[in-house]
Amino acid sequence: MIAVFLTRAARHRALLAALFLLVLPFLLPFRATAVNVLIDGLFAVGFNLVYGYVGLLSFGHAALFGGGAYATGLALLRLGLPWYGALALGLVAGAGIAGVIGLLATRTRGIYFAMVTLALAECVYYLAYQASGVTGGENGLRGIVLTKIDLFGLDLDFVDPLTRYFVIATIVALALAALSRILASPFGAVMEMVRENEARARASGVDVRAVRVLAFVLSGAFSGLAGGLQALHLAIVPIETLDYGNSGMVVMMCLLGGAGTFFGPFIGALVFLLLQNLVALVSSHWQLPVGVVFMACVLFLPRGIWGQLARWRPA
Amino acid sequence: MAPGVNEDPAILRTEAVSKSFGRFKALAGISCEFHRGRLTAIIGPNGAGKSTYFNLLSGALAPSGGRILFEGRDITGLAQARFAALGIAKSFQITSIFPELTVHENVRAVLQAREIRLNFWRSRNAYPQFVAAAAALLERVGLGGRARVIAGRLAHGEQRALEIAMALASRPRLLLLDEPTAGMSPEETQAMMILIAGLVPAHTVILVEHKMKLVMGIAERVLVLHHGEVLAIGTPDEIRANDEVRRVYLGQREH
Amino acid sequence: MAGLSLDLLALQIFTGLALGAVYVLLATGMSLIFGMLTVVNFAHGAFFALGAYAGFLVLALGGNFWLALLAVPIVTGLLGMAVEWGLVRHLYGRGIDDPLLLTFGLSYVLVELIRIFAGTQGLPFDTPDALAGAVDIGIGYFPLYRLFVIAMTVTILFLLWLFLERTRIGLIIRAGARDPEIMRVLGVDTGRVWRLVFGLGTAIAGLAGLLAAPLQGVSPEMGNAILADAFVVTVVGGMGSLAGAIIAGLLVGVIVSLTALFAPEAGDVAIFALMAVVLLIRPQGFFGRAGLMS
Repeated sequence: MIAVFLTRAARHRALLAALFLLVLPFLLPFRATAVNVLIDGLFAVGFNLVYGYVGLLSFGHAALFGGGAYATGLALLRLGLPWYGALALGLVAGAGIAGVIGLLATRTRGIYFAMVTLALAECVYYLAYQASGVTGGENGLRGIVLTKIDLFGLDLDFVDPLTRYFVIATIVALALAALSRILASPFGAVMEMVRENEARARASGVDVRAVRVLAFVLSGAFSGLAGGLQALHLAIVPIETLDYGNSGMVVMMCLLGGAGTFFGPFIGALVFLLLQNLVALVSSHWQLPVGVVFMACVLFLPRGIWGQLARWRPA
Repeated sequence: MAPGVNEDPAILRTEAVSKSFGRFKALAGISCEFHRGRLTAIIGPNGAGKSTYFNLLSGALAPSGGRILFEGRDITGLAQARFAALGIAKSFQITSIFPELTVHENVRAVLQAREIRLNFWRSRNAYPQFVAAAAALLERVGLGGRARVIAGRLAHGEQRALEIAMALASRPRLLLLDEPTAGMSPEETQAMMILIAGLVPAHTVILVEHKMKLVMGIAERVLVLHHGEVLAIGTPDEIRANDEVRRVYLGQREH
Repeated sequence: MAGLSLDLLALQIFTGLALGAVYVLLATGMSLIFGMLTVVNFAHGAFFALGAYAGFLVLALGGNFWLALLAVPIVTGLLGMAVEWGLVRHLYGRGIDDPLLLTFGLSYVLVELIRIFAGTQGLPFDTPDALAGAVDIGIGYFPLYRLFVIAMTVTILFLLWLFLERTRIGLIIRAGARDPEIMRVLGVDTGRVWRLVFGLGTAIAGLAGLLAAPLQGVSPEMGNAILADAFVVTVVGGMGSLAGAIIAGLLVGVIVSLTALFAPEAGDVAIFALMAVVLLIRPQGFFGRAGLMS
């Protein structure tokens, strides 16, 4: 039953995602969480592109997300770009930083990849920390103001929480649709080849390293867009956006939901944020239960929540 | 340039290639040529250096000495991806497929990866030529009825046949097969040998096989390796008549 | 830099060696664990912090620094063995990412436990009285405690070397690091040896945390920052190589120390530039085996 439902669901995944996004803010116990689910969900989906689809474990995605956030913030603050231009710049920044990190990190494989991406992301953190004249240093980038969104003649009030939610939801839905197309494209097929059997892909004439770098750049674009959306949403880019903790968070979200599945990372972001918010009601030490849940997930549910559901077949 | 005109009949030749691992000399100066449109078998008892030689031919290992010439061009020491790009395809000794994709997708992925890699936007299903070509290849290796099955769930013999289809999908100028019948049942082995025999003369095939008896019926030329050296080379009849070969294979279970 | 004397430069290099000594200990423990178990321990920084806090606790309970030097490696070592037995062990054979992810989750738990029991604020950690002050080392006055850190590191490495070279278990570990098959042939209980090695690595990490505590104070996050540095050392030196850990650790320490003198604003970034250069020129690191890359 479930399997049949899920197979059908997979065929209309973009539509299903849109429907889900439409009802999400009305389902959550914490209204403010809904926007965070969108942004972190998109971030986790971007991360999944490298971990889930080409098998590269990155611990440096904060640099891509944060790079996008700073680029979008600076574009609004310093360059005076319209909001969509600022977001586009965030996307490009994420992809660009991913290009540099990806070219360096793919010189190594396996165990080194996680360490090198983590270290290079720390480097980006320190660079932003030092360049306080541009980035605001440890105080973060402040004063990003966006109250109105003009969309094809429509003047939308970005201050109103629900309007803001639906503006961001629309952008995230478009990004998911784009991702869905990429996964279904010939390049998506090549990524699958690399993940499924690297030696065979190589013997079929595929330049495995180039595929990895490209996937990393694409992942950077999605992560950068997510970062840009967060800059618009929070009206500030805290320096912690570039922090190791942010890289770790997206790893947890993706694995909790299910790496290598289309919806998994989104579900993971939802579960992670709900857990965080629920624990925060009683204690400030949310990292303890989150860490325990994550360890349990690695030990007992390596496919993640959605990944496990999708494999559930009637006996 | 029309094929076959003023061309060397040998598509691949090795000139005194050797391979050492540390102090151990696995191959000592093998010189041999492999002709276009022929099926050449490389045989020899365990530890004869067959696999090492195969890995040199497929580019998985670089020789310690000597030269490898493909279509007259020196390819010694090139990366394996370059070997593949030149048209040297190989099957693996251990089954190597994309286990989570369907049988059809396995073949189509290889076909498509040759020509379209950098399209991020069109659907991968929007290329009818690859769909048709993949179906034709599956038909050829006898998997026409299994196209929609997840490849990881195929029987062992079927997976090996799928591998041949995948190797053919990369439209190789030279096809290298490493013990394609390893672990197969007698029926599967029989079917595989018929399949391989049918590949020539459209393709050039080099086959590494442990069991001598299997290849004698289908190979046109046989290279016998022993202790990392060429023991004999010739037609199956010549090899059968060769005293040295008889002596080496005497006492072995396979004859 | 006309006013810069050679002595000042030498002193700064010496300071770098003391800092590098801490890196060497961290990277040695990581390399030991990886070389034997092929587990990248992402909780290594957490064990480092735990060692510092365990030392703090010993002092708070009325003990002295020397007692802490003895107790800390025992505590973090036993905890490491418990972690291997209770958690990591179940992931052998599941690929290289799973133990890494598990220890990453564990680091969250350990750091948060520190926050719960010791507070979120950093705490000062006094240099033991006997090691306070400075001594003349020929090129100028040098803090005695830093000398002690260098001496301790040399001692620990020497003991480790003795253990690996001169004991039966050490022999088994060295053989096993090269070929797990040999362990099975020798009839060794691999599970116990692996547990011991994991504990040894975390014991050294805890000791490194204790030694670093008087230099920088203690804070729950102290391990997170140094984890990235330890990774740089490991990448530069080559994973699984003890010689690589030593040379790269000292090199990174000296580079940090010298950039702090010449270009303070570049101090945090310099070692990552070093790593980038090593990746471009020799991706497997100084002493790394190319085979480990795949």
